[in-house]
Amino acid sequence: MRISSIAFANLKRRKGKALFLIVGIAIGIGTAIALVTLSASITEEIGTQLDRFGANIVVVPQANSLSLDYGGVSVSSVSFDVQQLRDEDAKNVRDIPYKERLSIISPKLLGAVKIADQEVLLAGVDFKSELLLKSWWQITGEEPQGERDVLVGYEAARALSLIESTGEMATQKPMNHAQMDSTSPSLEAEPFKIIQPRLLIAGSEHRVAGVLAPTGAPDDRMVFAPLTQVQAMLKKPGELSVIEVSALCKDCPVADIVAQIAERLPQARVSAIQQSVRARTATVERLTRFATVVAALVLVIAALMIFTSMTASILERTKEIGVLRAIGFRKSHIIKSLLIEVGVISVIGGLLGWAAGMLASVIALPYFAETQIAIPIRAELLVGALGAGLLVGILSSLYPIISAARRDPAESVRAI
Amino acid sequence: MSFIVIEAVSKTYQAAAGEAAVTVLEEVSAELEASEFVCLMGPSGSGKSTLLTIVGAMNRPTTGTVSVDGIDVYALADERRADFRREYLGFVFQQHHLLPYLNALENALLPLAVSSRPTTQKRERALSVLERVGLADKAKRLPNQLSGGEQGRLAIARALVNEPPLLLADEPTGALDSKTGREVMEVFLTLNAQGQAIFMVTHNAENAALADRVIHLQDGHIVYGASV
Ligand SMILES: Nc1ncnc2c1ncn2[C@@H]1O[C@H](COP(=O)(O)OP(=O)(O)OP(=O)(O)O)[C@@H](O)[C@H]1O
Ligand SMILES: [Mg+2]
Repeated sequence: MRISSIAFANLKRRKGKALFLIVGIAIGIGTAIALVTLSASITEEIGTQLDRFGANIVVVPQANSLSLDYGGVSVSSVSFDVQQLRDEDAKNVRDIPYKERLSIISPKLLGAVKIADQEVLLAGVDFKSELLLKSWWQITGEEPQGERDVLVGYEAARALSLIESTGEMATQKPMNHAQMDSTSPSLEAEPFKIIQPRLLIAGSEHRVAGVLAPTGAPDDRMVFAPLTQVQAMLKKPGELSVIEVSALCKDCPVADIVAQIAERLPQARVSAIQQSVRARTATVERLTRFATVVAALVLVIAALMIFTSMTASILERTKEIGVLRAIGFRKSHIIKSLLIEVGVISVIGGLLGWAAGMLASVIALPYFAETQIAIPIRAELLVGALGAGLLVGILSSLYPIISAARRDPAESVRAI
Repeated sequence: MSFIVIEAVSKTYQAAAGEAAVTVLEEVSAELEASEFVCLMGPSGSGKSTLLTIVGAMNRPTTGTVSVDGIDVYALADERRADFRREYLGFVFQQHHLLPYLNALENALLPLAVSSRPTTQKRERALSVLERVGLADKAKRLPNQLSGGEQGRLAIARALVNEPPLLLADEPTGALDSKTGREVMEVFLTLNAQGQAIFMVTHNAENAALADRVIHLQDGHIVYGASV
């Protein structure tokens, strides 16, 4: 017989009440865990999106104007006397002090060309970095290999009659899987196949290596070809119209990187484009704050529940506590025994709450996240759940416990 | 000096709001010797339980002192006084106050719960006191599976498990019929014969007659029997 045996005997005797308290704590902790896990996972997702979803810094020549437009960057077809960006500038970007933070540098030359009587925007790119930068591209066909391979945007391909729909998608479900993957883009479009693999650009023949699924971006109306090829065709050797830079960024100093690039390239305009992700980050921050408030509220309610339940259960035991005091239990022994009871309840509640919270967030995550992300099992969250459970349990029962231990034993024994 | 010295003890209870305070004991003095069996008698409300709990180190007198074995009980700090109760005193309550969810053995073990003795030693002790009160074969029973007399003996076993020099009992036979009351009284007499000091409140003159001495309390004063 130890003090803990009394605590456990009491727990066993009041199973129903203990269970009620455990569930109360578990709900509180579970809500908190689910909310914390969800908002952490979504924040994490945004971080990886920042890294993956293309450029967050764009370098263009100063004071350029006119005609064609590429994602908010104007592309001149008429050359003013502005200083153009050149191949060396892309190398210069790679040389800034923060160069380790740069994951992708993708130089481009843009220009309008006529293909089969259609005005098309032609982009000269380094395919290796461009494909990294635009990881969301879904290519029907293959990635460009040779000097004369091009990628064509969906709308451009349709306008140029390079592709043909392969039937109504709804009725033709059973498709081979690989094909399904490469032809079912995020935007609704019919599956298609390439019917015309040859393309005559500025008099020279090119091979349509692949066609992009619709992206909703200007890319849809463009033709992508190797940079040197395009520089030759447009007769602008060594020239660039834009350098897109992707920094490895979750919390990285984009502003500093922008400043460093601007210093290297005084003739260029360097700007950060993060707005959409920023907006999402702000939403998540608001969600996180809301989640924190809700979790705190639930925990406070759980605490109140424990307070009333413990007060009642201790009141019920006034006589018993008086007897224990009379036969020589110290106040501290009484407190210890009651705290063990609350502690066991809190730890089990915390553990169950953690498990429930993790489960709930796994179930709920698909409704909040845009991509598939796994919820990591983090030890500190389990420790946090147990700690929070104990804190709530002990804080809310401390008052009834201490006042019970302090009650005069003669009085308690007499009271019956 | 006597084993227990009660010196000029007064006790006034602060009554509920609107009521006058009641003085239950007035300048009560008495002495008890080690290994003496003393019964405390008196009409209902005369302050017997009050005096017993004062001697029992759990009810501070308004004035006066109580010393047991030379220790001024109420000079001890609260937690130390709990230790004192555990080491020096065994309590038997009228309602027995057994914990209903612990079996006989566990109830007998209760005062040892706070001791750091090895578990096997605690068990041995508890089993030996159960034997002394004749409950060795009912160690696994819950209190409600015991007869009234057995419950009384279990309460005595619990009080004895720490081998306290003084046993305090408040009407231990009060809730029992005369036959089972007798059974419990036998246990007390046997213990006293083995040298156990006992201070017992009783209404039963027959039982009181079996004790070494009777102290009679009335209107807050000891009428007779204050010392040997
Ligand atoms: N905690 C208390 N607060 C106020 N009054 C009390 C308290 N304890 C006892 N009393 C009063 O003190 C008086 C003596 O009570 P006590 O219990 O000592 O009497 P008793 O002699 O044991 O009586 P009985 O034989 O009925 O058990 C009673 O009038 C009782 O109402
Ligand atoms: Mg009484």
